[in-house]
Amino acid sequence: MKVLSRYGTRKSSGDLAIRDEWMDCDAVLIGRSTACDIRLTDPRILLEHARVTVRSNEVYVETVGEGSMSVNGNMVDLAKVSELDVLQIGPFQVIIEPNKGDSDLTISVELINPLGDELENLKSRANIGIKSIGISKRKWSWAAALTVLAVALFWPMVISWFVPEPLVNVEQADTYDAVVTPTEFWTSGGISAAHKFFGESCEVCHEKPFIPVQDTACLTCHQSIEHHTDPVHFPTASFDGDKCQSCHKEHQGNQTVARNDQDFCVDCHADLTGQEPTTMLRNVQDFGTDHPEFLPSVVVDPALRQMSREKSMSGPDLPTENSGLTFPHADHLRKSGVRHPTEGIVELGCRTCHVPDEGNVSMLPIDFDRHCHQCHTLTFDLQLPDRELVHGQPEELFMQVSDIYNATALRGGYEEPDAPVIVRRRPGTPLKETDRVAARNWAEEKSAQILSGRFGKGQCGECHSVVDNPTTGVWTVEPVYITEKWFPKSTFDHGSHSEVGCLSCHAVDTSEKSSDVLMPAIEVCQSCHGGEVASNRVPSTCITCHDFHIDGMKPMRPEKSAASQTGSRLAVVDPDALRHVTSVSP
Amino acid sequence: MHESLLIYRNMRYLKVAVALVTVTGLLYALHSPVENPNGGTWLGYTLGTLSASIMGWLAWYGVRKRSFGGPSIRMEDWASAHVYLGIALVIVSTFHSGFQFGVNVHTLLYFLMLIVVFSGVAGLYFYMRFPRLLSENRRGLTTDMMLGQIAELDSELSAYAVTLDDATAKAVFNAVHNTEIGGNLLSQLTVDNPNCPTLLARKFVERSDGSHDEATRRKLLTRLSKKEGLLRRIRQDTKLRCLLQLWLYVHVPFTFATLAALVTHVVVVFYYW
Repeated sequence: MKVLSRYGTRKSSGDLAIRDEWMDCDAVLIGRSTACDIRLTDPRILLEHARVTVRSNEVYVETVGEGSMSVNGNMVDLAKVSELDVLQIGPFQVIIEPNKGDSDLTISVELINPLGDELENLKSRANIGIKSIGISKRKWSWAAALTVLAVALFWPMVISWFVPEPLVNVEQADTYDAVVTPTEFWTSGGISAAHKFFGESCEVCHEKPFIPVQDTACLTCHQSIEHHTDPVHFPTASFDGDKCQSCHKEHQGNQTVARNDQDFCVDCHADLTGQEPTTMLRNVQDFGTDHPEFLPSVVVDPALRQMSREKSMSGPDLPTENSGLTFPHADHLRKSGVRHPTEGIVELGCRTCHVPDEGNVSMLPIDFDRHCHQCHTLTFDLQLPDRELVHGQPEELFMQVSDIYNATALRGGYEEPDAPVIVRRRPGTPLKETDRVAARNWAEEKSAQILSGRFGKGQCGECHSVVDNPTTGVWTVEPVYITEKWFPKSTFDHGSHSEVGCLSCHAVDTSEKSSDVLMPAIEVCQSCHGGEVASNRVPSTCITCHDFHIDGMKPMRPEKSAASQTGSRLAVVDPDALRHVTSVSP
Repeated sequence: MHESLLIYRNMRYLKVAVALVTVTGLLYALHSPVENPNGGTWLGYTLGTLSASIMGWLAWYGVRKRSFGGPSIRMEDWASAHVYLGIALVIVSTFHSGFQFGVNVHTLLYFLMLIVVFSGVAGLYFYMRFPRLLSENRRGLTTDMMLGQIAELDSELSAYAVTLDDATAKAVFNAVHNTEIGGNLLSQLTVDNPNCPTLLARKFVERSDGSHDEATRRKLLTRLSKKEGLLRRIRQDTKLRCLLQLWLYVHVPFTFATLAALVTHVVVVFYYW
C-alpha cells in the first residue's frame, strides 16, 4: 500500500507549507518514535500513539496502548473515518485526504496546537504578586467597617426600638420577666446579683438615650432609702450634689453595688470630731488598729427607760446595767445544776433561754412565761396549789390575792390547821352574817400575811426590786426595762458566728451580778477580725458591722422619692409605704 | 528604609511612647476608684479619649502617606511615630479597659485593635528583614531573568523528552508545562511543594534504571535540578514579596473595622450612659 503523508507547517504569514513523504507499508503507525511511519515530534504524543489501516477500501484509525484521539471532537479508540472527518491526535489535526497520484492512502498532518514560546507560556502561567489573587484592600476595608457598624451598632439599636418599654418595681420582682433587648451585646460588664432579675432590660435604669442614669431610676424601688445622718445637724454629711451612682456602681460583675471600702468612711470619720464638733461619735480609722472601745447602751433608770452610753467595755469603770431585775447568770449556769420543781436537778445552758430569731441573727427577748416560769412558779399557798401570783401586773397583785382568800373563806374547806373553823368548815355550808365578817377579816389578814411574807414580797423580791411606800405602807415591784441591743449602731450576725461558743464572747459563767454587762470588749472581736487590709485576721471593713443608710433617718432623697412616684411609666407604690421618720436617734 | 524606623532620630518617638506608657501606668497604679478600675471613671474617660485620639491619628497616617507636599513634617517622623504610638496604644487602651473583658462591643473593639497593631508589628518586621533576604535570594537576577532561564531549560527538556519512553516523557512534559509558579495565596506563600511536577520528574528520572542511555539521563537530571533551584529562588522571592504586601491586607481592612467599632463603642457608651 502506497501511502502519502503530507506534513503541513503554518508559516508566520498564515500560509500553509506542505512537505510530502511517500512510503510503502501495510498499516500506518503514528507516534513520536523514529520507527513510526508518521512521526509527530511533540512531547504530548506517545512513542506509538495510533495506527491507520485500510480494509475493503475503508480507512480505520485505532489508538495504540495508552494513546488517545478524537474524531470530530469525540474521544474514541477505533473509528472508521472518511474524507469529511476531522481527526485529532494530541495537538495534531489529522485528515484523510482524497488520494493523489497512485497513492492508496493520503494523510495530512498539521500541528494546530503548538507548545508556543516557553517563556511567554511560563509567564502567562506564573501568578506572582498579591494583586494576581484579586483581593482588594479597599473593598475589604469597606466591607469590614460596614459589617461592624451594622452588626454591632445599628442592628441592636433599631431592633430595640421595637421592644416594649419595661416596667419594673421591686414589688413585682417575683413575677417580673425581664424584657431582653438586643442591646445586651452592648453591656460593659455583668449586672450585680440583686439587680439581675431585671438586668437584661437596659431601659429600666437607662431611661433615656444619651442621658446618664438618674436617681429616679434607683428610687423606683428604693423610695425611702434612709439618710446617713441628719443633714441639718451635720451638714458635712448632707451628700448634696451626690447621686446614687456616685457610690453605687453597677456593671461591676456578680457582686453587690454597695460600697465596702474602708477609705470611703474613714475619709470623714478619721477626724469626725474636727469636722462636726457636736457629734457624739468618736474618730475611727481601722477596725484592727484604730477603732474606739465599744460603748454599750445600758439602762440606768428602768422606770424612766433612760439609757446611757458612757462607759466602755475595757474599764476600769465598767458599765453597769440597772434593769430592775435580779439575775445572776453564774447561779443559773452552775455545773452542778439547778433544782427544777418537778424534774429534779437540771443543767441549764445559754440556749435554754437565749433562742435565736428566725433569721438566726439576733436573740429573741427573754420571756417570763417561756424561760423562767418552769422553775419559778408563783404559787403562794400549799392549800391552793393551783393558784399563782399574777406576773407583770404588780398593781393587780394585792387585789388578786385578797380576792382569792375572800373567795376561799366564803366557800370554806380551807384545810390549814391554824385557820378559823368557819374557814375550815365543810365547803358549801351557809355562813351566818357574823361569820361573814370574821371570814372577811381572816381573808384580809391572810392575804396581807402572804403578800408581805416569803411567798409574796419575798418571792417577788427574788428577781425584782421590791420597795416599801413609807406613806401607804404598801410595797411595790419596781419597773423592769431590759436592753434589747447593747450595740444598736452595729449589726452582729449570731448565725455566722455559731461555731464560736457563746462563752468566747459573753463571760456569763463568772457573772455573779445582775448589773454585769456581758458584752465583749473590742479586743475580743479583734482577736479574729482586723481592718480592711489585715493579713492575719478576717479583713473587715466598716460595712461589715455598720450600715451607711441608718435605720430611722429621713429619706435620703425625699424630693426625688416623691418625683419617682409620679413618673409616667414607673410603677407607683402606695405612698403610705413611704417612711417619714422624724426622730433622730442619739 | 535606609535608616531604620526604630532608631530614627535617636529613637525620639520611642521615648515619647515610653513616657506616655509610664505616665498612664503610674496614673493607673495610683488610681483607686469606688468600683473596680474601668473605662467609666475619670481616668477611664481620660485614657479612653487619649486612646481614641491616638487611633484616629494612627489611621490618618494612611491618608497622610498618600498625600505629597503636605505639611512640612517628614514622612519618616510619621512612620516612626506611627510604629511606637501604635504599640503604646495597646498598653494605654488596656489601662482604659481596666482589664475588664467580655463578649461585647467594647472588647470587640479591643480585639480588632490588637489585630491591627500586631499585623502592623508583623509588617514592620517584614520591612526590616525581607529586603536583605530578597537581595540575598535573587543574587542580582530579576524575576524575568529567572523565568527566562527556566523557559530555556524547559525548551531543552522538551527537546530531550521527545526521544524518551512514554513514562519519562510524560513526567518531563508535566515538569515543563504543569509546574506552577505563584498561584493562589497559599501557593504564593509556599516554597517547597512536595507535589511540584519538576521535583517529581527529577525523582522519576533518578529512579528510572537503564531504560534510556546514561548521557540523556544525566542531561535531564542536570536540567531538572537546575530548574528546581531556580524555582526555589523564584518561589522564595514570591513568598517574601507577597508577605511584604499581605500584612497590609490585614492591617488596612481591620483598621477600618476598628474605626467602625470605635464609633460603635463611643455611641453605645453614651447611648446607655
